[in-house]
Amino acid sequence: MLKQILNKFLILNDVQAALVVQENGEIIESMKSGITIRQDLQDAIATIMLDSRKTATQFGNAPLSMVFVEFSESFLILGPVMEEFYLVIIAKNTANIGQITYEMKKNQDAIISLL
Amino acid sequence: MIDKLPEGKSIGWMQAPPQWIFTHTIRFVGVVRVVIQDGEGFILIKKGKPLVYYFKHGRIELHGHGALDYFNSHPTIEFNLCKYTPEEFAQALKICNIDDSMADEEIAAEKGAAIPARAEEEDTIGVGDASAIHRLVQPATRPVRAEPPADAPPAAAPMKQASYAPPQPEPAATAQPEFSVPERTAETVSEKPAPPAEAALVQPEPVMTVRPASPVAAKPEAAVPVMPAAAIPVKPAAAAPAKPAIAAKDRVFVPQPAVLEDPDIKIIGQIKKLNGIVAISVFNEDRNILLMGDVEIEPLLKIARTMLATTRKITPHLDWGSFVHMTLQIPEGNVIIAPYRDNHLCILTTRTINIGHIRRILRDLQQDRDHGGVL
Repeated sequence: MLKQILNKFLILNDVQAALVVQENGEIIESMKSGITIRQDLQDAIATIMLDSRKTATQFGNAPLSMVFVEFSESFLILGPVMEEFYLVIIAKNTANIGQITYEMKKNQDAIISLL
Repeated sequence: MIDKLPEGKSIGWMQAPPQWIFTHTIRFVGVVRVVIQDGEGFILIKKGKPLVYYFKHGRIELHGHGALDYFNSHPTIEFNLCKYTPEEFAQALKICNIDDSMADEEIAAEKGAAIPARAEEEDTIGVGDASAIHRLVQPATRPVRAEPPADAPPAAAPMKQASYAPPQPEPAATAQPEFSVPERTAETVSEKPAPPAEAALVQPEPVMTVRPASPVAAKPEAAVPVMPAAAIPVKPAAAAPAKPAIAAKDRVFVPQPAVLEDPDIKIIGQIKKLNGIVAISVFNEDRNILLMGDVEIEPLLKIARTMLATTRKITPHLDWGSFVHMTLQIPEGNVIIAPYRDNHLCILTTRTINIGHIRRILRDLQQDRDHGGVL
């Protein structure tokens, strides 16, 4: 069922992977296309999650809404779903970010209900 | 006197060390309006040459070196660069009681005196070698010892008698640190890089009733929110508690190297003007280089550096090309960091910002850098 929701992201143009990840880097569920989720990528995602949450605390303990890390070829969007679970989308830089973030918000409740 | 000066065209408000003003105004003609605590002042500049220093707090007025020393007694000051048209500048000269031809003569004399320095440069680099020139701008690559005190900033051009004569600062010879400044481009080698007055190296106590601006680094490191709305702390207001007066005297002012060029400042200013941009900072490992916007820089820098550390940790593990930006979104807004030449940008925005627009700008900046274009 979670896969079905993640697949909604994967069908978006140039989206390469949609994952639900735990804060320790463990992948709960994933859907990917044309990309391999190697250990170092998992480590990178875990680093972003932990560091971003830590950074957000410097804003008077503000809750983290989203983290967006872009490189010249690809980018990664990470949004907290609930507690230590995050939805991570990896896409080529030609993907439509607005559409992705819209789908993230739209499907958040559905993902929460399945976790 | 300030009120009488022509408004000019504002380029933008900035926070930077006083020396920054002199090293970045080689082609600037206008007034730099300075605000320190409750007082305000200005520096009238013609192509890198300061003609008048003035500062006023209440009924107390500082002119010439007195005002310069006071500016230099602050690690950073807040100022607004306002460009003048020739007419406006002529009017400003008149208001300040300065003979225009005298100002030109002084500039010409400075240029003449600087010719040997330029010739020396041409021995070492090709005049047209833009990359070599650019390298010279980088402080770490080729710092040059500053001229001896004879090179101290030119005194303000003759003007009306100061209504208040501040006592001369104590001699600083014994505690004077070595002072080096970076060279500018060949085009700007002739510029006197605003060497602080002798007294500026070891700061005198400003002889005024105003408080010395609190050095930002001395602020508590506690988690201080820097976001817009209620969470964002504005810079110290008049009501802020007075800082201990010993700070200015004990402080050793380290001259800041020139890193940014005029086009950079223009670009940063343009980004700052976009809707939803609360503040924008150019920073590096050691310090803030430029800040536009009304925020406390230290907490913002702390966050920016934490984010930068994160990107440095992950970049080697990802073969996704060069790092473009990282955006952290919280309910109050966004913090964006991005590489900018040899430094980094930190942009603080409201939640309503068009991220796509900012993203495009950041990508364009990087492409320009990658292609070696002039921004």
